[in-house]
Amino acid sequence: MDESGLQQALESISSVAVAEAFALVVIASVLIVLIQKLASALAEKLSGKPRLYLLATVPLARLLIIVVTVILIVPILVEPSFENMVAIFGALALAIGFAFKDYINSLIAGLVTLYEMPYRPGDWIEVNGYYGEVRSIGIRAAEIVTLDDTVIVVPHGVLWNTLLANSNDGSHNLMCVAELFLEPNHDVAQMQALLRDVIYTSPLTRTYQPVVVAVTDTEEGMRYRLKGYPLEPRDQTRFISDLTARASEVCHEQGVKLLCRSRRE
Amino acid sequence: MSTETDQEHPCLPGGLIALEQWQAPETSIRKTLRTGVRDILDQLRASIHPEEQAFRSLDDLPLLTPDRLRQYAPPPDAAEVTRAILAQLETREALRGRSVPFLVVPPFSGLARSLAASGRRVITPPDHLLLSEQDARSWWQRQLSGDHWVIPELADFWLRHRSGLSLLKELFALLASDKAGTGLIGCSSWCWQFWANYLPELPVAPVTPAPLDGERLVRWLDHLARSQTGQSLTVRMTHDGLYVLPAPEQAGQIKYSSFAQDLASLARGNPGVALAIWRRALRARPEAESEGDDVKSEGDLEAVTSSGPGCWVAPLDQLSLPAVPQSVGRHSSHVLHALLLHEGLSEEQLALVTGLSHREVDLTLGRCQRAELVTVVDTGTYFHVTPLGYPAVRKYLLSRGYPADGFGE
Repeated sequence: MDESGLQQALESISSVAVAEAFALVVIASVLIVLIQKLASALAEKLSGKPRLYLLATVPLARLLIIVVTVILIVPILVEPSFENMVAIFGALALAIGFAFKDYINSLIAGLVTLYEMPYRPGDWIEVNGYYGEVRSIGIRAAEIVTLDDTVIVVPHGVLWNTLLANSNDGSHNLMCVAELFLEPNHDVAQMQALLRDVIYTSPLTRTYQPVVVAVTDTEEGMRYRLKGYPLEPRDQTRFISDLTARASEVCHEQGVKLLCRSRRE
Repeated sequence: MSTETDQEHPCLPGGLIALEQWQAPETSIRKTLRTGVRDILDQLRASIHPEEQAFRSLDDLPLLTPDRLRQYAPPPDAAEVTRAILAQLETREALRGRSVPFLVVPPFSGLARSLAASGRRVITPPDHLLLSEQDARSWWQRQLSGDHWVIPELADFWLRHRSGLSLLKELFALLASDKAGTGLIGCSSWCWQFWANYLPELPVAPVTPAPLDGERLVRWLDHLARSQTGQSLTVRMTHDGLYVLPAPEQAGQIKYSSFAQDLASLARGNPGVALAIWRRALRARPEAESEGDDVKSEGDLEAVTSSGPGCWVAPLDQLSLPAVPQSVGRHSSHVLHALLLHEGLSEEQLALVTGLSHREVDLTLGRCQRAELVTVVDTGTYFHVTPLGYPAVRKYLLSRGYPADGFGE
């Protein structure tokens, strides 16, 4: 590190320049916050693809604002000569590299998410046992909202070494599974047909997507898995509840008992 | 897209085509983009001005009187349409061999009324639609015992309920085994879409009336007016004086508006919807300031109107058609979707198929009626989506992920 080069570069910074740079940072921050709030508010009023597209523009817009801000600030603070740049960024890299290793790790992972898009706003993902909808993607972390309306902050850094499950991967198609355990010794084919009708007649079903009723014989009873797609990913809880309630009615009508967890165990 | 068949059956322009051949009328990229942006803005605006729901005209021109409207834009003659359909079924080689031709039509086509007036034995649905499979089978065996039967609307024979599918399941089984005799089935496109997904191996190859593009729409509207007045109707735009009717071949060198293409595109080739919007757009006289702005065209009008009646039509962007309030929740969309799937339902049936309580259905219907999206017919028993509200309802349901019919893409 050329200490004199850094000293020279920093000596040229005037208080006016610092004030201007600070003002730019504040403006950029306000702009970012405004875009995030506005996009979230508008997205709530939209549905379908326009909603996803609008949410997806937020991280890109933020990246753009940050890049433009840095480009504007650097010439204000120092003369953008090669020596000055090497001196400043070298010193910053060293200091930040030690002090904020994990933070930088997440920042870089954040850039990777913009390129690889393992998750986008509006996706339903599961990370480390937490499942929810990606509400926003920040510089360092993404926020997901669980089905119980809890916000989980997921640092982008977890991407490097964690398995991530994305249920809808940028689309509106999210398969849901309602699971039932039934007492054995009943007409399985008839039950499958009846449960298929249950899925097709639920008003929340996307009937143009595949509908499947899978059955396996387990030690805990006959395990039926009703697979279908809800109208919108947001409907998944209501959809699974609706399928379960309707399937229970069918079982009751057919005289086939449902097995609850305690009885299965 | 026009064929010689258009000349033979002016009440059924384009004749019958295979369902797979159906294509929405073409529209320009500019118009598609404009519509897309306007939809998004409408969604956003609707939450700011929730009261702006129902139809309102943005011009102050007088509407046609009901008598004039019946004269200039009457509903199609059911008997004539039936004759055209039967003639098509008999003359088209691809359809001739079928014992039970299957007609799929978009809502408001009026086909059910036409088929009911076909003179064939009409099969009406049983009072109770929740039947076991055995009961459904024996019911069909009684109904299909003779030949030359007709089912005007298949959507009346089922309910989207696990016990309401039996009748159609059994009918399709009989059709598959060729034990249904000789008949004719009409089916709503929404109902068909559900059953095509439910039974992907359905043993029928449906046909459908060709979509109305701008050219066909002009000839069809001309034919409707002529059937009442005996003469060609002359219709011009209120804002620029360009012509919409009469059909081009009858009027010589006059300038035509793109209104018919825009209307065909807005209605997605659906004649019932196009006619409903047309009836709302017709005006008795144009705005005073536009009357004299095109002297040459005015002269043309006199020449044309001297041979028949005339009126005016407001541009589509001056009509505010019913819109689905964006604040509506799943209840309203469930109800609207169910009404389209079944071509109309009673309140009790709606509660059954949507899983909503009677109170919720009641409240939802009231709201949809105020927004002019739903209307009640048959002595206050059955609720239907309105033809004017249909474009907005279809678009709304699609945006909310509901399965829609295939007549739109």
